[in-house]
Amino acid sequence: MKLNVLWMYHDVMDLYGDRGNMQVLKKRCLDRGIDITIDTCGIGQEKTIKDYDLLFIGGGADREQGLLYDDLVSRKQDIMDAIDAKTFVLLICGGYQFFGQYYIDNNNNQMEGLGIFNYYTASDAKVGRCIGNIEIEATLDGQTINIVGFENHGGQTRGVNHPLGKVIHGHGNEYQGGYEGFYNGQVLGTYMHGPLLPKNPQVADFIITKALAKRYGEVQLAPLDDSLENRAHEVMQKRMAGG
Amino acid sequence: MRARITLCVVKISRFLLSLLGRGGSLPGQIGLKLDGQILQKITYPKEIILVTGTNGKTTTTNMVYRLMQKKYKHVICNERGDNLLVGITALFLRNTKLNLHVAADCAVIEVDELNVPHVLKRVPVTKVLINNFFRDQLDRAGEMESVVSKVSQALETFQGDLILNADDPNVVRLADTSKQAHVYFFGVDKNAESKEVSNEASEGKFCFRCNHQLVYAYYQYSHIGHFACPNCGFGNNERYVQASDVNLDAQSFVVENTTFHAPQDALYAIYNATGLIALAKLTDIPFTDVQALLETFELNDGRMETFNIGRKVLLNLVKNPTGANEVMKYIMRDPEDKDIVIVLNDNDQDGTDVSWIWDAHFDLLVDKHTKHIICAGKRAYDMALRLKYEGYEGDLIVSEGMEAAIDELKQLDDHAYVIATYTALQTMRKILRRNEK
Repeated sequence: MKLNVLWMYHDVMDLYGDRGNMQVLKKRCLDRGIDITIDTCGIGQEKTIKDYDLLFIGGGADREQGLLYDDLVSRKQDIMDAIDAKTFVLLICGGYQFFGQYYIDNNNNQMEGLGIFNYYTASDAKVGRCIGNIEIEATLDGQTINIVGFENHGGQTRGVNHPLGKVIHGHGNEYQGGYEGFYNGQVLGTYMHGPLLPKNPQVADFIITKALAKRYGEVQLAPLDDSLENRAHEVMQKRMAGG
Repeated sequence: MRARITLCVVKISRFLLSLLGRGGSLPGQIGLKLDGQILQKITYPKEIILVTGTNGKTTTTNMVYRLMQKKYKHVICNERGDNLLVGITALFLRNTKLNLHVAADCAVIEVDELNVPHVLKRVPVTKVLINNFFRDQLDRAGEMESVVSKVSQALETFQGDLILNADDPNVVRLADTSKQAHVYFFGVDKNAESKEVSNEASEGKFCFRCNHQLVYAYYQYSHIGHFACPNCGFGNNERYVQASDVNLDAQSFVVENTTFHAPQDALYAIYNATGLIALAKLTDIPFTDVQALLETFELNDGRMETFNIGRKVLLNLVKNPTGANEVMKYIMRDPEDKDIVIVLNDNDQDGTDVSWIWDAHFDLLVDKHTKHIICAGKRAYDMALRLKYEGYEGDLIVSEGMEAAIDELKQLDDHAYVIATYTALQTMRKILRRNEK
């Protein structure tokens, strides 16, 4: 089996170790004999997104995000085509915000989003920055999964119709908000860094399964030894529970 | 009167704390609490040198401290790295007489980047030395951009000497905004370690003035290197001091026909030393004094510090991707079999966000001669996963305690290295010292 991944703005949206997600997908595929290719796409580079099984965009600093804005907007139709063609999309932080209606930064500059989804993001000086360890309970296509990570965002994302999960510890989309991320069956957006996937092998495998589905339909993944991953998850869960 | 009372209370509390074996910044905190204006009420030495930047602050500060002792009789310094406003307040008040004069003719202060505005507002600093800005503790400091802009704003009205690393675009931009300062650049020539491309997490890829992508003639490490903007020329600056003929194996480099010894065989150490030489030139301290200082300088505070636990162990602090990369490059220059202990904590001073380990090049450690890696600290499992997903195939051990990690290390017999984050460093030093033979 083959899995083709497009990692967009790998050289600009590379804050908070989000690259780790790519390393996790790669190893978990290779260990199962899945032939994974991770292609990158920088500003101005020509790629046909719908040819890929998975599109990934990470988080970046405000200044850098501003610089790639025009390039991203020019790819809107291409991204919509990819979603129509069943490419799975994973978005972290800045990438997640971009897919909404708009983003208003600390200095009150408004940047239009791709407008693919209804949610919108604004910095809110009155409430604090959402920062710290986070634990959520997510429901992914009927499967309940506990996810741990680290969040660090000033933007408050509101108007999310389909959140990824319920917050157990931490903030999520909004300061003390109760819900985290976005998931509609094909696009998964989240504020969870850490990076997201190393301590959440179930999520990693879920994403691999979803991406493979584009070409191969329902696929059963071979189990891997996740004792280290599970222990890492458990340690953070216990810490957040105060135990 | 209030200032004098505050001063007395600070001195008494300092004395009482010293009886308890404590001290540090606490007297400074008390002083600021009693009189928020206390630093504006004392009389300062005529020379005050401020050192800031992301990496190498403590080492550079200690070198500058010793350098200034060649010129001044009584130099004071926060040489232990108490670099927040409270630590600096503690330093000055500790040395202030009841007539409100600081009893020193020169002060050298290490200042945390985010505290630079607070210090410059209160203390008549004469010289500022800045070596680099790297991505560091995003949870505390925010994005690097916001750190640099805070420092930049604080320097807008600064009228003293600004000594800047010409090879770091994030530092060079300060020259544009510090319109009232006298700017002096230092840099390092291309050498055997320089690279055409860089794959290390880097900031400031775009021109500060015109947003064009910067072009590098060569990289030294991370985003440090000879850069310029092809559009507006940002980065083309005359260097006041430039190091050439860098030879890391011989640990030597040349400035203006004088050969200097590098305190360590690493490029970041050459930059620290070159900044020091710029400062010496600016203060008319002869190069022979700098040569002598660099010949013997050792910090021994968990920066390349050695212990003997039956075999040699080298201990190093790491706190951000760039620092970690440089330490790992250093370790991997040892061609022998080795065992490495990595202690990763996530307390406030370490940065509560440990995702930076994924920005650092732990792939450097993946090598057949890296026999064992022992992970410890509050985030030991995160570290272990980092190495697993990098494809490390040696023996990967997770140790829940720091003491246990050293016990594990003692069972082995390869060349031994320990790297630790900030809050683990002093504990590791104590454990290693206890185990010394």
